[in-house]
Amino acid sequence: MDIVSKRRIFLSISFVLVVISAVMLVSPSLNLGIDFTSGSTVTYQFADGNPGTEVVSDALTKSGHPEAIVQALGDDQYFIRTEDLGVYGLDAINEEVNKLDGGPAKVLDTSTVGASVAEDTVRNAITAVIVAVIFVMLYIMYAFRSVPNSYKYAFAAIVALAHDVLIVLGAFTVLGIAINAEVNAIFIVGILTVIGYSVNDTIVIFDRIRENVTLAPGRDFRATVNLSINESITRSVGTSLTTMTVILAILLFGGASLRDFMIVLLAGVIVGTYSSIFVAAQILVLWEGRRFLPWRRQIVST
Amino acid sequence: MVVSASFALAFSEVNIFGFVRGGDSPLGLTLGLDLEGGTHLVYKAMPDDGREPTKDDMEGLRNIIDKRVNEFGVSEASVQLLGGGVDSVPDRVLVQIPGQTGAAITLKFDADTVTPETLQAFFRNELGRPEAVVTRNENGSLMVQLDDIQGESEADEWRDAIISQYPVALQVGYVLPQADPPAVGEDDAEESKSDEETGTLPTLDEVRGAFASVGRSDAEVDAVDGAEGLFSILMYGIDVNTTDDSGSPVLGENQRIMAALREIGTVQYTESQGTLTQWTLGGGVQEAKNLIGKTAQLEFRYRECGDILAPSDDMPWPPNGLSQDEWVVERCSNPVYFTESATEIDAADLDDAFPDISGGAIPRPIVTLVFNEDGGKAFFNVTDRVSRQDDRLAIYLDGEELVAPSARAGITGGRAIIEGGSFTTERVRTIAIQLRSGALPVGLDLIQERNVDAVLGEDSLQKSLIAGGFGLIMLVVFMVAYYKVPGVIASIALVAYAVLLLGIFKMIPVTLTLSGAAAVILSLGFAVDANVLIAERTKEELRSGRSLLAAITAGFDRAWPSIRDGNVSTIIVAIVLFWFGDRFSTSVMQGFALTLAIGVLLSMFTAFFASRLLLRLIASTRIGDKPNWFVPVRDQTPPSAPTSGGVS
Repeated sequence: MDIVSKRRIFLSISFVLVVISAVMLVSPSLNLGIDFTSGSTVTYQFADGNPGTEVVSDALTKSGHPEAIVQALGDDQYFIRTEDLGVYGLDAINEEVNKLDGGPAKVLDTSTVGASVAEDTVRNAITAVIVAVIFVMLYIMYAFRSVPNSYKYAFAAIVALAHDVLIVLGAFTVLGIAINAEVNAIFIVGILTVIGYSVNDTIVIFDRIRENVTLAPGRDFRATVNLSINESITRSVGTSLTTMTVILAILLFGGASLRDFMIVLLAGVIVGTYSSIFVAAQILVLWEGRRFLPWRRQIVST
Repeated sequence: MVVSASFALAFSEVNIFGFVRGGDSPLGLTLGLDLEGGTHLVYKAMPDDGREPTKDDMEGLRNIIDKRVNEFGVSEASVQLLGGGVDSVPDRVLVQIPGQTGAAITLKFDADTVTPETLQAFFRNELGRPEAVVTRNENGSLMVQLDDIQGESEADEWRDAIISQYPVALQVGYVLPQADPPAVGEDDAEESKSDEETGTLPTLDEVRGAFASVGRSDAEVDAVDGAEGLFSILMYGIDVNTTDDSGSPVLGENQRIMAALREIGTVQYTESQGTLTQWTLGGGVQEAKNLIGKTAQLEFRYRECGDILAPSDDMPWPPNGLSQDEWVVERCSNPVYFTESATEIDAADLDDAFPDISGGAIPRPIVTLVFNEDGGKAFFNVTDRVSRQDDRLAIYLDGEELVAPSARAGITGGRAIIEGGSFTTERVRTIAIQLRSGALPVGLDLIQERNVDAVLGEDSLQKSLIAGGFGLIMLVVFMVAYYKVPGVIASIALVAYAVLLLGIFKMIPVTLTLSGAAAVILSLGFAVDANVLIAERTKEELRSGRSLLAAITAGFDRAWPSIRDGNVSTIIVAIVLFWFGDRFSTSVMQGFALTLAIGVLLSMFTAFFASRLLLRLIASTRIGDKPNWFVPVRDQTPPSAPTSGGVS
């Protein structure tokens, strides 16, 4: 399988996807969930029986509040957090909730509620990720010191990482429009998970390249990269398939509360696996072609 | 072989250890609010002076409570401000903490007169608590376990009910006064019975009168037959409180009774049975509630004790017929005799407060305070004055007197310890956290307490858990079917990994939340990946014509650098996230980072030891005669096939 020679095609696809994602992100369509903004709370008491959290949650979705967090309080009450309901927002919810078994439901309390996650969490998370990325780059430069120009590996890995995060964010924005998915605290965790997966997956491919460069320093770099990809592609597919098995199972058969989170993970695994082979490794080749840095000159035993 | 055997042994040991540590939740793990329910507490802000709380008050409340819960180790608690409507200033605080509401009361009767059975019956039948379970602790105290307590007021009602339900038996014995002192106690005795001559013992009527004088004419007083001056008293409900409603110290009822009894004669001995001597609330989220809801106003007051010497020569001294020994105690502990005033020690000058253990023969839990320069100076000045006047420094927390120590000299260095009679290790920790986080700007009143369902919904999570389990089984089936023997080993390694991980979470203990669970899934992915890498490399080495054992060794050596580098990068990410999470107190990130770091370290460990050793172990058995069983399905070619381009 000759992948390297088609690198321009793969890189172009990725480039287009990244640009689309970036545009999606800049236009303000990524919905910030109620974890980050202030909203409203409603406490219902059911006169007769207990319809169950999922049922109440479904009723909230029908009334136009898929973002609602529903918690059972004791045996007969439900505590619901939604986006700001304003003056008339409660009526629509009342209508749906009163259709449920166990009703009529009495509104015990309504209040405005402050954000549960500090506003600066997103900014802090971004700062933390940038710092983490710098340290990971330094580590890759150290770990790949036996091959020439190890900084290129570090840089390529981070480009692949940024690629993955951007595309997952972009995909989620599309989903946000399509199924009203929202950015919440769980979403941040999902992105952090994607980052962990992406870096790890890229390093496995790079490790193969490192090994082959060391074994046959004289070989053409493109051939080396192509060989390395072919040798490790079974493993890449194997690992991502096994991981996806678990994620898909939870996505398809699991509860609704984890749906958005599992979508982020699924997108992350697919993009993360793809980018290791078709982005990170190709950037190395591309970079290599642009500058003259003879491999044979610099090989030192490890 | 030996190595693998001992390894397996170590495994089971860790296992057992991990699961022996008990707990209520599945496998004894601590689960976060999002995965398991908790307690839903709503507090109303109550400024002391009756004004409306301001926005700053509420933000201050939120920050301090946030800090308190975080330091307490209640991870993933949620603290939110609730308000009446749009644009109005919030006036309530919603706190959701993991752990079910529930309560335990520890109480003790003097001489252990009440049995657990009767108290349990009392709670079930009279107090309307059919779920109450009462057991006796080793030290004789009783423990009542209940589903919940609606605030401290409910507990106070029970306490009063118990005090009036169970009798207190007193015995008091009088002796004839010594001949030499001139009639003591005659001048100040308010009640009439003071015209008795010296040389007679108090009569039954006099003793009854003494009880009447303190408002307890309901006490049944009897003279004990055949022993003059000996009386037995039976009464219900002695109030041993030593503070009044506003928290200022007063004489307890038992102290007032003793004083009245002393007025009518020389008491030789007293004995009491059945007095309630201990009453402590705890259990469930009780300690967390203590931590959140208390203002934590620390006050240092100067206590000027009664004069040691008579203020004038013609006054009988010590006053009120007290003996010299009694006076030494009474002058500083009886509010009748001392006065208190504010000091210049300000709790705002505290730099730090931490739980500690006192030195000395019997170590006791204490709180160490560290003052800044101003506070240290003030503390020296006050303790210096205390030592010279032989007075006391009284320390109050939220109006409750903790301790009122004397000082031998002025204390320099800006460090102080506080020690309280009722201090336990738990309480000391709570106080230290409260002092560190600062006093709440306004008081809080608990207006709602209820058990609350998991944020992510219990039924929804249940489904996801089953689905995840199903996914894992699929994964194992796939690995075994595709990778064969290495797949089986990978599956065994995965099980070992999961067991070890849960064991570690339990021992540390890590509160498992969704972000933690995500990190677990990720590190599980890495653990699978490590095994896949080893299997693939082993296959390549087999193809290049090596013997099985050599191929396994070489395959592992080849796979190791990528396992190592990938995992180390991830650990670096985890450390940075944890560090930032700590600085910005964002528990979402910290939970993820901590779990990820533990998970990845462990996945490296299982890959390095479990997978490698198990592979070698199996290869050395008869299964090892079939190298094909070690090659994935797709690559089913005879081992003798020519080497592919892999290693040239």
